[in-house]
Amino acid sequence: MKAQELTRRRFLRAAGSGIVASYLLEPATLWASATSLAPPLQSSARNCIFIFLSGAPSQVDLWDLKEGAWTPSDFEPTSYGDVRWPRGLLPKTAEHLSRLHIVRTAAAWAAVHELGRAWAQVTRNPAGVEGSIAPHIGSVVALETAAARRPSDVLPSFIALDSSAIPGSGYLSAQHAPFRITPSREGLPTLLHSDGGERFRRRWRLLEKLEPQRRAGTLGKSAADMSDFVDQARDLMAVAGINEHFRFGEDDHARYGATGFGDSLVVARNLLEADLGTRFVQVTMGDWDHHSNIYLKAWDGSLYGMCARFDPAFAALLDDLSSRPGVSRATMLDETLIVVSAEFGRTVGPLSNSQRGRDHFLRQSIVFAGGGVRGGLLGKTDATGANAVEYGWSAGREVRPEDVTATIYSAMGVDYTMRRTDDPLGRGFEYVPGARQGVYQPVHELFTA
Amino acid sequence: MNLMRMALAVAATTSTVAALAQDCPYPAAPNDRQALFRLLSANAEAVAPTAPAKRRAVSPGRAVIANAIDAYVVEKRTSACAPTETSGDEEFLRRVSLDLTGAIPDAAAVVAFTDNRDADKRAKLVDRLLASDAFTDRWTLWFGDLTQNVRTASSIDLFYPGRNAWHAWIRERIAARAPYDAMVRELLTGTGSGVETPAPNYVARQFVVGPPHDIWDNTATTSFSQFLGIRTLCVSCHDGAGHLEAVNWYLRGRTRRQLWETAAFFSRTKLSWKNSPDPLDANRIVSVYSLDDQSTGAYELNTVDGNRPPRTPRAGEVATVLPAFLLTGETPRANEPWREAYARMLTSHRQFARTAVNRLWKEMLGVGLVEPLDGFDLTKLDTQPTHPRLLEALADHFIASGYDLRALLRLIALSNTYQLSSRYTPGPWSEACVPQYARHYPTRLPAEMIYDAVAKATAVREPLQVRGGVAVERAIQLPDPSEPDAPQSIGRFLDELGRGNRDLVERNAGGSILQSLRIMNDRLITNGIAGTEGTVGRVLRTTSDLPAVADEIYLHTLSRRPTETEREIAVAELREGPLRERAEDLQYALLNSLEFLFR
Repeated sequence: MKAQELTRRRFLRAAGSGIVASYLLEPATLWASATSLAPPLQSSARNCIFIFLSGAPSQVDLWDLKEGAWTPSDFEPTSYGDVRWPRGLLPKTAEHLSRLHIVRTAAAWAAVHELGRAWAQVTRNPAGVEGSIAPHIGSVVALETAAARRPSDVLPSFIALDSSAIPGSGYLSAQHAPFRITPSREGLPTLLHSDGGERFRRRWRLLEKLEPQRRAGTLGKSAADMSDFVDQARDLMAVAGINEHFRFGEDDHARYGATGFGDSLVVARNLLEADLGTRFVQVTMGDWDHHSNIYLKAWDGSLYGMCARFDPAFAALLDDLSSRPGVSRATMLDETLIVVSAEFGRTVGPLSNSQRGRDHFLRQSIVFAGGGVRGGLLGKTDATGANAVEYGWSAGREVRPEDVTATIYSAMGVDYTMRRTDDPLGRGFEYVPGARQGVYQPVHELFTA
Repeated sequence: MNLMRMALAVAATTSTVAALAQDCPYPAAPNDRQALFRLLSANAEAVAPTAPAKRRAVSPGRAVIANAIDAYVVEKRTSACAPTETSGDEEFLRRVSLDLTGAIPDAAAVVAFTDNRDADKRAKLVDRLLASDAFTDRWTLWFGDLTQNVRTASSIDLFYPGRNAWHAWIRERIAARAPYDAMVRELLTGTGSGVETPAPNYVARQFVVGPPHDIWDNTATTSFSQFLGIRTLCVSCHDGAGHLEAVNWYLRGRTRRQLWETAAFFSRTKLSWKNSPDPLDANRIVSVYSLDDQSTGAYELNTVDGNRPPRTPRAGEVATVLPAFLLTGETPRANEPWREAYARMLTSHRQFARTAVNRLWKEMLGVGLVEPLDGFDLTKLDTQPTHPRLLEALADHFIASGYDLRALLRLIALSNTYQLSSRYTPGPWSEACVPQYARHYPTRLPAEMIYDAVAKATAVREPLQVRGGVAVERAIQLPDPSEPDAPQSIGRFLDELGRGNRDLVERNAGGSILQSLRIMNDRLITNGIAGTEGTVGRVLRTTSDLPAVADEIYLHTLSRRPTETEREIAVAELREGPLRERAEDLQYALLNSLEFLFR
């Protein structure tokens, strides 16, 4: 306990220095500095699949299992090496345990759903001054990888599946905004013209005759931009079989567990396998907010039901990515960083008496796999799971949402210390606030080499 | 779940579990000034205002002065940005209908307006629009956007009863022609329950997990951004000096303590809430917020956690901060409730009027005289606005009118600057001429207006269900961007078209591939043109004369008749195949035209 408090205080001091001291520095010095500090980057991942478990699952029943009198026996706590694992809940994921790197001493900043969710995705306090301009992690990746796009890259860089409410591209161009879709058997319905392709082409030929100036740019820049998006949309519609990437077959649907979440992971795999320009895929799976009846087996929404949906899908994704060839590395998994995150964690120990559930809690676990991730455990919590006893990485403190983002950026070769000067607030926009001052940093310990 | 959220919110205010200060932790970078201001060319040569001219039949390149606005615009125009001609009746009618009421005009209204020989018909049209219910709908949406009325935000759930009450209040006040300053005062000062008065919801909207000081700071900084056009969030964490030199010279001279003094006006205001079962869903609860003012209390410098760096007195400083208004240093009068004092000072400051007219100007012209809208630098009022004299003149007019939204919008709508054509004919167009108002610069319609325009053009629409309220016909009437409750397909359409969420996602008229796919292929469009009772069906029942069919479809969709060339192209197309099918194709093409999507 003592050591942990010291560490915590040390961190707060470090964090505090980032906050307090940085604005006491001579502004001229800071302004003169380069926009990037050119830190070493992992650059081990070509793609990222960011799985967000919205509502926040109970880490002490899953990733950081803490057994007690409350633990149902059919969780089947089992030891795999030094990992205690609820085999009864996540039997298939267990087969991939060696591929997962579980950060057990992660912590959120806010225990309010919307705030924590947005924080994890825009890497700063969404209620703060930059909240309304801050882009999603995926939008920054899209921007940073834009120059490497090839003519065949017709798909958007950042695709968000079942994630309609996530933040967008902030002040960055709409080109980098999440392409938000809900997978369905039909694929992306708006890729198809309900009156048929022939009729569609005829209608557009007519429009181009009636509005010849639409391409001339005489209507001004925003109209010209709109016209470009229309052209891109039509290009996408014109690619033979494009909708197949957004669909899923019955085999995959069944193998991934026959759920909406499973369907999204199939589509995530398809989109990356298509190699048509998509680099960052977010999949959101909701309803983990187990304030009540978390162990009520009869209820489909309990931890049992949720895991029954998560487990086959996640395991099938790992099966497929690890067995299919990658573009730049041996397998797709080797070049695809997978992050399983949430807005925060849940309370530890016995369940609450009244509701038989677990409430919001800042301590959480975050799971990494693929994209050069080593596999193993990072950080150790005490017997309850509430407190850290060992952080297991060079920063010697909790892994914060800002560190998670820095880790993703580093893995994808994006300079996490970048400060842009094109922000509308005119104050300089840091990809990871505080990274330049060393307040936050990538968790390099997760990676091989 | 809602109950739990509230419970946690309560717990969190008092617990030490708090987010590390993240609001303003970092120094401002050098300010690459807004492109707009760079365009405010230093070599702007004053062009002498020409004599008032008749509005019609004005050739491009000649400046026209219809009212005072034009004189101020003309004096800042450079020779490189000669003005284009004044818009024709059809263009003007469509634009002013969309701008003032959010709706495209009826086909019949287009014909009636163009046939009307009354020399004063534009002014009379504007007056009719200003008096319409649709005007109330459109400006209710504007005020709801400005003040961010939304059912669920990232830091608070206002719940639909409060959201609906706030929306109904805006609507009622706009309809009653309430002065804008009075509306803002009511929003800032009301006490009691949030289903009766909007103030509790407005203050609750500023809630964030942390000490109450954070809410007071937020209420001050938010109201400053919205109503005074000044972004003071930075000085809620640190003094301006040493940080804001390149960002805002005025704020550079302000201190964190001055911001505390401004936030202190809210430190005697107590926000509370009552939970009750949700009448629409027995498994949920709804909360109603209320506000009370107490006679004691102040802004005590005693926080070490929350969303901002610690609040502690410096050596020699008093720990109790009493209210004083940032812009003037004014303090409350004897016995004046603090919130009332704040609302009085805020709404009576000239910057309040400047900010309002700048916002209204942008709604009508597409670009603000000062950008961004909350980026005013009070030390640069003579250089920062693209048209400083115009801004002051508009503010004078607004104040003199008794803060009458309609009076200011009328002045703008009747200026030649507003009435310029969007076609630029004097020569090649340069984007650098945008802030010189050499033409009307087309902007994309907001999401709700696109939906409503499609529904009106095709005459196919369905009721939009509102949670806890009555169904509405037009998307512009929805109380916030979480609606309609049903059908959800229309919500998706509106989201994709960039209506934002009045929280972290700002309203956005930029495009995207998905948005284009949506407009090209959504069933709202393809079913709309195909409906038996829709426009195409009804037109074909009245005539099979091809030029007449083309004219009708143009009138219903683009609110104008086709040009000769367009009519020829359209008729040739209609002749190519089955008339019904080809007529649908024609309306499809027009619904997808940039002209339809822009104003």
